[in-house]
Formats: sequence, structure tokens, C-alpha cells
Amino acid sequence: MDIRQATVDDLLGMQNANLLNLPENYTFKYYLYHALTWPELSYVAVDPRGRVVGYILAKMEEEPSEEPCGHVTSISVLRPYRRLGLANKLMRQAQEAMVAHYNAAKITLHVRKSNRAAISLYRDTLGFEVHLMEKGYYADGEDAYGMRYLFQRPT
Amino acid sequence: MSHLPKHRQLPDKESKLFKELLTQYELKGYKKGLKAADTILKKFPNHGETLALKALTLYSSLPSPLTVSTAPKQDEAEAMARLAVKKDITSHITWHVLGILAKSRKDWDEASRAFAMARKQDNDNIPLIRDSISLYLHTRQYSQAVSARHHYLLLRPQIRSSWLGLVVAHHLDGDIDEALRAYDGFADCMQTDGATGPEKSQVCLYIVKLCMEGGKHEEALRRLEKGLADKVISPRGEASQLKAELLFTLGRREEAEDAYRALLEQNPDNLEYYRGFLRTKGLDITASLDQDATSRVLAQLSTFAESYPRSSAPRRLALDIAQGETFRTLARDYLVSGLEKGVPSLFVDVKGVYPDASKMSVVGEVVEDIISNVQKDVSLHADGLTPLRLPRSTDDSSVGVLLPCAPPGSPPQPFPGVQARPRPPLHRTRAHADPPEIHMAKAMVLKRAGDAQGAAEAMEEARLLDGQDRFLNGKAAKYWLRAGDVKKAEDLVAMFTKKDMTAVADLTDLQCLWFLQEEGDAYRRNGNLAMALKRYQALVNVFQDYEDDQYDFHTYCMRRMTLAAYVSLMRYEDQLRSHPGYFKGALAAIGVYLQLSDKPDLKEEKLTPEEEAERKKAAKKAQKADQKAKKAAAAASDGKKEDPPVPDADPLGQQLLKTETPLDDALKLWKPLETHAAARIETWLAGYEIQIRRKLFLAALQCLQESAAIDGENPDLHRQILHFHRTVSAATDLPSAVKSTIEATLPSLLPTGTTPDDFNASFLSRHPASSAHILGAAGGLLEIKRASNPLPSNTSAEILAVLDKLFSDGVSPSIEVLQKGRSVLEEAGADKAVLEAWRERCRTKLPLAWVFASKEEVEARNASEGPVPNGTVKADV
Ligand SMILES: CC(C)(COP(=O)(O)OP(=O)(O)OC[C@H]1O[C@@H](n2cnc3c(N)ncnc32)[C@H](O)[C@@H]1OP(=O)(O)O)[C@@H](O)C(=O)NCCC(=O)NCCS
Repeated sequence: MDIRQATVDDLLGMQNANLLNLPENYTFKYYLYHALTWPELSYVAVDPRGRVVGYILAKMEEEPSEEPCGHVTSISVLRPYRRLGLANKLMRQAQEAMVAHYNAAKITLHVRKSNRAAISLYRDTLGFEVHLMEKGYYADGEDAYGMRYLFQRPT
Repeated sequence: MSHLPKHRQLPDKESKLFKELLTQYELKGYKKGLKAADTILKKFPNHGETLALKALTLYSSLPSPLTVSTAPKQDEAEAMARLAVKKDITSHITWHVLGILAKSRKDWDEASRAFAMARKQDNDNIPLIRDSISLYLHTRQYSQAVSARHHYLLLRPQIRSSWLGLVVAHHLDGDIDEALRAYDGFADCMQTDGATGPEKSQVCLYIVKLCMEGGKHEEALRRLEKGLADKVISPRGEASQLKAELLFTLGRREEAEDAYRALLEQNPDNLEYYRGFLRTKGLDITASLDQDATSRVLAQLSTFAESYPRSSAPRRLALDIAQGETFRTLARDYLVSGLEKGVPSLFVDVKGVYPDASKMSVVGEVVEDIISNVQKDVSLHADGLTPLRLPRSTDDSSVGVLLPCAPPGSPPQPFPGVQARPRPPLHRTRAHADPPEIHMAKAMVLKRAGDAQGAAEAMEEARLLDGQDRFLNGKAAKYWLRAGDVKKAEDLVAMFTKKDMTAVADLTDLQCLWFLQEEGDAYRRNGNLAMALKRYQALVNVFQDYEDDQYDFHTYCMRRMTLAAYVSLMRYEDQLRSHPGYFKGALAAIGVYLQLSDKPDLKEEKLTPEEEAERKKAAKKAQKADQKAKKAAAAASDGKKEDPPVPDADPLGQQLLKTETPLDDALKLWKPLETHAAARIETWLAGYEIQIRRKLFLAALQCLQESAAIDGENPDLHRQILHFHRTVSAATDLPSAVKSTIEATLPSLLPTGTTPDDFNASFLSRHPASSAHILGAAGGLLEIKRASNPLPSNTSAEILAVLDKLFSDGVSPSIEVLQKGRSVLEEAGADKAVLEAWRERCRTKLPLAWVFASKEEVEARNASEGPVPNGTVKADV
């Protein structure tokens, strides 16, 4: 699978993968907003025939804060392509990009409390920690964990 | 004030009110604004600018989405704005308002014209210029955008985005030199002002790309290296990739090689980095390679495979490159290691090599061998000793995942040669331990084999094993749609959509293309053309939204300085409808419109009793909703609450179906294909069908020529050529210019001196074993026979004689070909007995294809399996 920075041409493929994988969906314009504000941060995994099979849609927090903070809006991998290490690679590329291009100090994301696969990816594989719990965060009432990872930065 | 034309002047009191109206508009005090406007209008009903501002205020006060009670007010506002322009045609305000309303209607052309008129009246009005620029860009009037940008810059020279905007406008207008000059003219202020690091980086990369596009590679590299040295841009990702490309283009191969190595360190899964690296070694893997080059590439890739053991890219690339025995060895290793990891996508992944027929059969043999070794418990490793280490979760049943990997459109056997064997993993009954993947694999095999119902049931089993997974949910819904069960599919997808609206409404809002397409197809197969059109048109509308979405970014990107991304957006939108999603939806809708054009009585639906009942229920519901809405509207105008959004005026697609102009509707969908999918033969095949029905013979002929240039042997084209020949031969009233062009051109498709019969016979003899071509020849023969009306009595027998070849040894007809064969027979006037015999032969030929089962068989199956939801298995044939 080819893993590379997402371009505008990939956004519909990302939207498609997102609709197939997750209940949290967005219209095309929201993808445009990401790609046209932080073009370096989103990545795709593409199969040999050019189909987007996995993606990470990422951004920087817009609210002014002391330190630049990255955020994962959405990440998923089509079921037949899971457990290949794609999500792990997509996350790492996005993280590196946040640090390199935006001097990010940390990265945050939300995850459903019941999403074992994702929590295991973030916590066990990538070293994230749970830093808060948001009750009823999702539309169906499920709670979210707020997770984060602090980047080691040269001072 | 004294310069005001008479009809615009207002006495002091009204003049004050007018100012109040403006202020209230800006403060969103719409009620007060309207009151002020009405007071003025009472005395001066023809005051254009007041009318305009009233229209704007009224329009802005409306909720979005519009409700039952507010919808008429929008029309009122639109009419008022138009009237305002009439009353005061030289006012910038009246034109501006007209433009604003057109813009919110997304009528970009009208908006752009109105803003241009407004600017004529008030040249230096900043907001007007800003909107104008966006509209020029949006409607691709680039030279006008450049002049508007110049103008804006003169008025706002101190703002960074006005400079950058000019640079980009020149770029889009195709004048890269001028763009660079404009940039360099202001680059100095850029250093000192307050752009952030990331913003500077965006601009720097954009300029580098601009130089590259203009062929100024030295300059591009110089600017890039300066940006890197000054730490304006980070070497991560794109900047380094551009550098590597530039070094290569400039012939500095060793440096380019180092640059690609560094990139691979950053991301060893990026295929372009491997390609670029190999290019620096003089190896272009996108072209064909000789033996020496092939082994050099493979050696490089194998080194990379060792350096990056976690990356599958070098090993997978090697499969594309290797040939012969090397390919066999590599493919085997790749498959075995994938199997051991339990990679569910393994064969989807390897499917990429399928365009190469010889590789495909090698993969088939390797798979065959693996399956038999697994069954015999023989080691799969080269040493013959190491046991196969299948992952815990999947064990040997994962071999079942091997099966459904046939190339698209092929008959049901997964690989050549694998067809005959029973499929043990498929039929093994180990319900608890099986992961959903086994059921998915089974579902895919059944689907390809033509058993839509069985496939849906298998996918349903997969879904039930992991109810939380939306992917499985969507797949199951898709399979139910394929089996014709729309209701079941909608119930399933509703598990993951918003609860306060229907699943279809939510999925439409969220632009879920796959669902709109599949549900449209399901309706079409079920004969509900109205709903099919409804879904296809929804899909087409989604693409309009995708196009309209770019509007805000004309200004946004200048502010954020994401210029390169912006330019790529513009280029993307220019070819948006080349997207396969549009292609597929448009072709399907065109197909329905052609049906409607051929058989207008399809517009009068014949409903089954159940559908009739369903329809009545829906009508009742709609009536109730309507009454409720009316009541609500009345209540709302009384100042009470509850004012529902305007309901869909055509929820069942009836108005779409009743179209008076099916061919124009089809043409409208086809136009983007003509421009953006010109390389696809389907575009021209569909174009022919539209144009010939419009009796535009030359346009139809051109479609034939375009098809012929893509694939002169295409079976549908073959039939169309004969159709064209027959049609123009029969036409008596062709203008002489048309006639002579046809006479000059047609021989390139149907040689002079060749009779249609010879043409058809020779086509058939060129493709004796291809089922699609046999079908094409049968269709061609029908066109020839149609020269006489009524059809000669032996027509269906002769056609059957051609179609017989589909059942010869060595011919493997797909389900689709066999179904189409039946249609040709039917068109040729075959009687019931012939059609029934045809069905039985198909059933015997493809025993898993339940589409060919008899009614009795289907009923028996349903009875034995208990009631199938809604009893939707229908014998199609
Ligand atoms: C969560 C998801 C993105 C993981 O993608 P993936 O490409 O399969 O993940 P990876 O292969 O990179 O997995 C990396 C690690 O994550 C953990 N992990 C991934 N899937 C797991 C699962 N189903 N169960 C337990 N751990 C899992 C493992 O530790 C794994 O490492 P390992 O394979 O070496 O054991 C994918 O399952 C998915 O798309 N799910 C549906 C959408 C979703 O939930 N997205 C996350 C929203 S917050």
C-alpha cells in the first residue's frame, strides 16, 4: 500500500472511506477546509489501483493557546486492510508532519470508550494517554476519551 | 448629495430612514429595517435602492433551510430585487443586491454579471471588488480576475493577500512570468511583516512550484534551497520531494539519489520515492524494462526490503516488475508470508497484477498449489519443512479468503484452473470460530456466481458477528440492495445514521455516493425507474455541491496563504466530473432516460398490488404532512411556533419520471463526460445512443469514430455501426451536406463494398471464443434484420444460432452476457418456449447463478430456508 500525503484529489476517496468505516461523517467542504488550511497534515493509504483504503484527517487547533497543538479529526482503514499496520503508519506520518511544519507540542484526539482497536492503537502502539473523559460526546450518547501525546521537542 | 439623480433623491426624513435601514441591516435588526423600508416606500414606492435594501433585508431574515411559511417570502425578495434594478438601473446598490441574491442561489453566472454592473456604477467599492474577484475566479474568467486584482491592489496595497491574490490570478491566467514578477515586487515587504512561519512556508513552496511549472528549474531549486537554508520550510515531505525531482531534472543524479534516500528514511511506504530513486539509477519502472534492467530493479528493491522490513512496498513493487520464474517465486513468498500474517486483503492486493494475463495464471497456479498443500498439511516454505504458521485468529480457514479474487467481470471461478475443485473452506461449518471475513469471502463468491440472495445472507452473517462495525453494516446493506431488498438495506444503514431523519435523507446530506448509486441501481433492477432517477439525480446534485463548495476558498486561501493547495483545488474542480462516481451515476441515469425515450409508456407505472398499497400509504402520509405543514404555516403566520422545513416536492421521483425531454436530460448529464471522460469508450457508446435518437447523425457518427479510436473491436460499437448504417440507409430526408459527410466517413468504420452481412460474419470469425463479441455479433445480426419491417420470420432462429456459440467449449460467458443474450432474443421476437429453453441452458451452464433459476426453484429454496425477508428473490429470467 502506498502511503503518502493527501492531496485535494484524494479527498473524495477519504470521504468515501470515512462513510464506510465510521459513524462520524463530514461533508466535502470540511475535508476541503483541512486540506486547504494544513495541506501537510493529512495522509492516505492507497491500493495499487489508486483507491484510498485508509486515511488520517488531521489539523492544528485553531483556538489560540500557548503551544501549537495537533488534532486528529478522523482516522480509519477499510476493514479488509486492517491489521496491516496502516493506521500506525498514517498516525506516525501525521505526527511527524505536525512537529516539522507547525512545531506542535502535542497531539490530541477523541475515541469512543468502547473502541478497543483504536484505544489499543493509540495507547499501546503509539503511547498516548487518556487525559479526560467527555460524557455523551458522541451523537448516540456514548462517552469519549480525550487522549493525547506530548511530543519530545528540542528546547 | 446634490449629484444624485432625481429618482434617487429622498427628502430629509426618508433619507434618515434610509440610513437607518442600512444600519439595521448591518446590525441584523431585520424587523426594524423592514419597518423603515416600508415607511419610505409608502411615500416613494418606486425608490429603487429602498426596494433593493428591503429585498436584501427580507432575504437575510429568512431561516435556513427554508420553512413552509418562509418559502414564499424568498420568492418575494427575489422579485423585489429584480424590480429594484428596473426602477434604478444606474445604482450600484440595486445591482449589488441582485448579485448577492444570485450568489446565495449559487447562480454564479448571474451573480458575476450583476457584480460587474454594480462595479460600473461604483468603481472603488471594496466589498464589491472582493466579491467580483471571487466570482471571476469561480466562473474561470481569469483575465477579468487579473484586472480586478490589479484594481484591488491599488486600493489596498498594504495588505499581503492583495499581492498574493494578484500573483495567483496571473498564474491561473497562464502567465507565470508575470506572476513571478508580481511576487518579487512584493517579496521584500513579506520579510518584515507579520506572516507566521507556516504561512511563509506555504508561500515559499508555492513559488517553487510556480517556477517548476514555468520550466524554470534552476530558479526553483535556488529558491527552494534558500527556503530550506533559512529554515522557512521544513525538509520533511514535499519540500524534499520537490528538491529530489529538481535535482534529477537538472541532471544532478547522485544528489537526487541522496535526496530520495532521505525521503525513504522519512517514509519507506511511499511508492513515488522508490520510483524516483530508481529513476536516478536510469531505471524507469513506469516504462517497460529489459531483462537486465529488471534484475537491477529487483536487486535494489530487495535491498530496500531488507532495510525496511516493516514496509511491504518494495516487495509488492517487485511483483509488478518481476517476470517468469522470478515472478512465481516472489509471488509465492509474498502470498505465503501474507497468509501467515492473516492479511485479509492479501488477494485484493495481489489482484493489481491481473492486467497481465500470464501473471494472473501464475498466481492462479500458486494459489492452487497452496490450497492443496494446506489440505495435505504440507509445508508451504521453500525448504519443504517449515510448517505454515497461520495466525491464531484465522487458522486454515483463512485460505477461504483466497477464493473471491476473480478479476472484475469474470466468470465465478476465482483463478483459472481453480474452478473445478470443491471449495472446502467455503462450506466448512464452524460457525462460532469463523471470523466475519470467512462469511464475507463466501458472500463475494456467491455474488460473483450470480446468487444475490445467498450472497446477501452470507454478508448478513458476517455483519451479525460484529454489529459495531460500520464497514460490515454497509457491506450487508449493499448486498441486500443487490438482492433487490431496498427496505432491508435501509433498515440496516439506519443503524449508523441520524435518528431524527430518514437514513436516505441523512446519507444524501452526507454525500454518500455509494449508497445513492447502489439504491438507484436496485430500484432500476426492480423496475422502479422513478426512484432510480431520484437517487441518480441526488448523486449528480452532490457533484454540483462539490463544485459549489470551492466558492469560499477563493478568499480563504489568500488569507491563509495556502496558495499551492488552492491552485490544486482549482485544477481539481475543473475536472471534477471525471470522477468515477459521477461517471457511473451519469451513465446509469442516461440509461434510464434512453429507456423513457424509447418507451414513453414506462412513464405510466404499472404497479404490483403491494406497490400500489405502499404508494397509497405514502400518498396519505404526504397528504397528512402537507396538511400539517399548511396548519403550521397558518400557525406560524399567527406568530405561533412549529414551522417545518419545506418538504421535498417530488419524494417519489414521479416528476423526474414524467419528463417531457428525456433526451435533453440525458444530454445534460453526458456533456461533462464528453469533456472529462473522453478516454472511456462507454462515454462515446452512450453519446451515440443519445445523438442518434436526437437524429443528429453527424454527432452520432462522431461518437462512433471516437469509440473506434479507443477500441475498434468493441462489441457494442460493432452493433452501433450496423445500427447507424441501417438508420441512415432508411433516412430519406438527409440534407445533402450531412449525406456527403456520412458517405465520406462511414467507410472508415464499415468499408465500402463490404455488405453488412459480411461485416458481421467477419467480426464473429475474428473473435470466435469471446463471449462479449459473440453477443455483439448477435446484436449486429438483429440490426441487419431490422432493415425489413416486420422482421423476417427466421430472425430469432438465426440469432439463436449465433448465440449458441456462447455454450461452446472454451467460451466462458458471464452472467451479464447471458442475460443480454436473452434480451437480444426477445427483441428478435423469440417466443416463450425459446426463452424458457434459453433460461434452462444458462442455469445448467452456471449452476450457482440463481438469476437463471425458475420460479419454482426459487420458491422451493425460499420454503426450505424459511421465509426470506420480504420474499424478494425474483426469477429474473
Ligand atoms: C482503529 C483502526 C483505524 C486501526 O487500523 P489498523 O490499520 O488496523 O491498525 P494497525 O494495523 O496500524 O494496528 C496497530 C496496532 O493497533 C492495535 N490494534 C489495531 N486493531 C486492533 C484490534 N482490532 N484489536 C486490538 N488491537 C488492535 C494493535 O496493537 C496493532 O498492532 P499489532 O497489529 O502489531 O498488534 C481500524 O480498526 C479502523 O479503521 N476501525 C474503524 C474506524 C475507527 O474506529 N477509527 C478510529 C476512530 S477514533
